[in-house]
Amino acid sequence: MSKIKYYIRRLFVTVLLIFGVVSFLFIAFRLMPGDYATTLAGGGASSSELEEIRESWGLNEPLYMQYYHYMANMVTGDPGTSHVSNEPVLSYVRAPLMNSLILVIPAILVAFTIGSIYGALLGTKSGTAFERYGILPPTLAGTTPNFFIGILLLLIFSSALGWFPVGGMAGYETYAEVESHYEIYLTTDFWSHYVLPFTTIVLTFLYYPALIMRGSVIDVKGQEYTYFQRIAGLPSKTRFKHLMKHSSLPVITLLPAQTATAISGLVLIETVFNWPGIGTLLFDSVLSRDTPVIQFLFIIVAIWIIFGNLIVDIFYTVIDPRITIED
Amino acid sequence: MSESTDIEARLNSLLKNNFVESFRDGINKYLSDRITIACLVFLAILVFISVFDQFLMPYEHTTVHRTPDGEIARLESPSMAHPLGTTTSGEDVFSRLLFGASSTLLTGLVGGLIIVGIGLTVGMVSGYYGGRVDSLLMRITDFAYGIPIIPTAIVLVAYFGMGFWSSVLIIGLLLWRGNARVFRSQVLQIKEREHIKAAKMLGASDRYVITRHILPNMMGMVVLFLALGTGITILISAGLAFLGFMDPYVPSWGVMLRNAYSSGSMTEAWWWSIPPGAMISFTVLAIFLLGRSYERVNEEQVNQVS
Repeated sequence: MSKIKYYIRRLFVTVLLIFGVVSFLFIAFRLMPGDYATTLAGGGASSSELEEIRESWGLNEPLYMQYYHYMANMVTGDPGTSHVSNEPVLSYVRAPLMNSLILVIPAILVAFTIGSIYGALLGTKSGTAFERYGILPPTLAGTTPNFFIGILLLLIFSSALGWFPVGGMAGYETYAEVESHYEIYLTTDFWSHYVLPFTTIVLTFLYYPALIMRGSVIDVKGQEYTYFQRIAGLPSKTRFKHLMKHSSLPVITLLPAQTATAISGLVLIETVFNWPGIGTLLFDSVLSRDTPVIQFLFIIVAIWIIFGNLIVDIFYTVIDPRITIED
Repeated sequence: MSESTDIEARLNSLLKNNFVESFRDGINKYLSDRITIACLVFLAILVFISVFDQFLMPYEHTTVHRTPDGEIARLESPSMAHPLGTTTSGEDVFSRLLFGASSTLLTGLVGGLIIVGIGLTVGMVSGYYGGRVDSLLMRITDFAYGIPIIPTAIVLVAYFGMGFWSSVLIIGLLLWRGNARVFRSQVLQIKEREHIKAAKMLGASDRYVITRHILPNMMGMVVLFLALGTGITILISAGLAFLGFMDPYVPSWGVMLRNAYSSGSMTEAWWWSIPPGAMISFTVLAIFLLGRSYERVNEEQVNQVS
């Protein structure tokens, strides 16, 4: 199969998957126990009020018509209105989404960089005590619940040492000073709030890149060409570069899945640090049964994961021509 | 006649020796590693605590302690009477820590069993039968990969109500996806081996081939993934507990952490918040490392055979 054909096919599957996930979410939320209108109205609504809500949300229509409207809205980029704030979901979710992305993406990238360099060091020193016991610290960080790492950092660096603020994304003064939401990211106050949650995510995600990189480096080191490079007299720096390039593939495959895990775990970290991102938004929305918001957050995460896998697959065909494309 | 018994005896002794030796060899391989020994000892102690917690706990975990003048002994720092101090409602932290071991371990084990059970079934059926069943099951697995675990678990618990077992069940039902793929690729490899082809040619049924030839060859993987699944279930259920989506009346370590956090006196009462978290992380660490060392020894044996 030619590459172009593979890309087209892969893109088609991606669109189909997204369609599947969006449909699945519609069904899933309709299957949830409890009358939808009652949930929307909150407690103590009279039956006429309920009827009014059913009318305005189109709940009296047959399910397939509701599904049609839902899909049509999604395709045109209108995921509905939040029940809680009465704001369009898109603008309601935008700021928390940005807050989360600015936290999680740099953190994951830093974790992967540090983790793979550390893992590569372990791999090149295979057989030594450093290799045997050096994997323990990242493993311990990986087996500690991420929210507990956050709690420990808070206890040490905020309560005991007082170096960083306890929680939130910025102080009230900063919020009062800035004009638009995104200006907060430019203040130093924001960055001092940023350090602890960022460090927490980095520590949590060091483990897998380090472990995989270690194994991968040991694998690649055993291959003949590294031996020939050595007897050909290539400088050790160049050889290390080659080694890194060839052994980083399995680590890159890991990236989308780990990012997904990170986003999923954001709920916990954002709760500990009181960070106004999609994690805390999801938590609040679940408590107040704000279904359109929940639905949309799930769609974002699903699309994120699906596209991540797509990018890795395409990246693979570019970086490693040996990889045969199966159907 | 004497000759044949002689041969028989020698054969027997050979077999016996070999068995004993290989067994001893295997055990030695584990015990040659200090990390593995430490993990085994730690987990053995934990199991001991979970079984005999009633006898080990200095107090009932719900007993409210009072100071001599009748006040509830809130947030007392560690002392001889309370090795890890007390909570805001005057309960003994050390007793609660011991009591939490069994529910935490049980959560993990049940979750791990569900994960491996479903993953193994899906992977086995998918890899063994192939074809349409395979592609259908693998698409379902792909789909399951798109599900964010903690948010989904939160929504399900919020809408369906919470209970100790339902939360564990939800975790298990969401997490089988990873090992289904690994088990499938294992089956695909094992399926191609000569002895399995021979057995099939001789007319062995699918069931016979699966239970007698494929499953035994996958036990290493199964044990490894049971360990990993147990560890991950403990971590995720701790997270759910921390968010308040686990039964608060089953005081696992995760629930303890939540209580300490939501009491607002976490910074003051480090003896209450740090021990349960540390216990969780050391338990999962021990389980993970044990799984890894099992995998390592197994790999060495496989390499020796092939």
